[in-house]
Amino acid sequence: MKILFTAKGTEWDSKMDPRFGRTEFFFIYDEETEKVETYDNRAIANEAHGAGPLTAQKMSEYKVDVLITGNGPGGNAAAVVTQTGTKVFVGAGEMTVKEAYEAYKSGELK
Amino acid sequence: MKEIVIISGKGGTGKTSVTASLAYLANKDVIVADCDVDAADMHLLMKPINDRKEDFFSGVLPTIDQNKCIKCGKCASVCRWDAIPIIDNKYIVQPIDCEGCGYCARVCPADAISMNEQNVGDWIISDVKTNTKMVHARLGIGAENSGKLVAKVKNEAKVLAEKLNKDFIIVDGSPGIGCPVVSSLSGANLVVLVTEPSVAGIHDVKRVYELVKKFGIKAGCIINKADINTDKVQEIHQFLEAEDIQLISEIPYDENFTKAMTMGQTIVEFDPDGIGRILMNSWEKIKKIA
Repeated sequence: MKILFTAKGTEWDSKMDPRFGRTEFFFIYDEETEKVETYDNRAIANEAHGAGPLTAQKMSEYKVDVLITGNGPGGNAAAVVTQTGTKVFVGAGEMTVKEAYEAYKSGELK
Repeated sequence: MKEIVIISGKGGTGKTSVTASLAYLANKDVIVADCDVDAADMHLLMKPINDRKEDFFSGVLPTIDQNKCIKCGKCASVCRWDAIPIIDNKYIVQPIDCEGCGYCARVCPADAISMNEQNVGDWIISDVKTNTKMVHARLGIGAENSGKLVAKVKNEAKVLAEKLNKDFIIVDGSPGIGCPVVSSLSGANLVVLVTEPSVAGIHDVKRVYELVKKFGIKAGCIINKADINTDKVQEIHQFLEAEDIQLISEIPYDENFTKAMTMGQTIVEFDPDGIGRILMNSWEKIKKIA
């Protein structure tokens, strides 16, 4: 499974970013290779309008199986995410990336 | 720390009156954020002082370098908003008409058009009468609210709430269901829907709730002016039941709302034993479900 976390930093101990569209970073963990990849999304977070769909488009380039975030994505971004077939888990907005991964593994996230 | 966002879909349901009352009741336990930036009026009730302002830049507009312009007219011909008329034999961008798409700059063969970030207003941190702080914004004439500005206001509120150890952020959400509302909802813990028993009130609260559902955020509802139409109140009840939204309270129509507003007071200050009591109970409930 390739998992994308919306995060405020690039470390396992970084706080999750509860926002999807205007998340500061992507933290991507590939369970098979155990590799971590990060992407600085702050340019999109700075868009006046339509940050959600742009972030969803960027996310689609990473071909992830799972998205873990705080809440969202909203309206238009949700439509894009659905198209990519990515499974969305929310409710991890106040955790660290590591805690969010553990919560996901133990089935605590919806 | 919990973030509570108050929205209504329709304007005029009493969203800001309710938000200011909740902020008054919660007093120093909360940071207040006004994300209804297009028609901001929380400041009328919260009496902000000691403003600390910063410029806010958002969106881009083209500038045409008249020395480089070869007057080919390509920019004007591709502009979907007819925002580049010829004035005194010069192509001039009309900022009010321009949407900032950048098509003109892209097609200009003389490289005479640059896209520049706009200073659209300020965002402000103030001390308010409830012994806490409020984050708000003031837009320039013709400038519009954006998801970016709402995100900025909410983010600053969050930083303050963490620094000052506050339990809650109360957000006066943006109207409608567009980009600023999406941004208001993002990251929230609880949404309070303020509606009224009218055709438009019900229609709009249903639409905005569609958005809340996509975010998967818990919601509660306050029905304001609940005694003006009993049939429509029934319809709201049915909607709340079907969607499993908790009814927080029903507030009767009361002219004291307007009287309080003209005095620059929240209804809780103006009428503490009447409507004020209902809102007090509402705040207790909201704290529990947040």
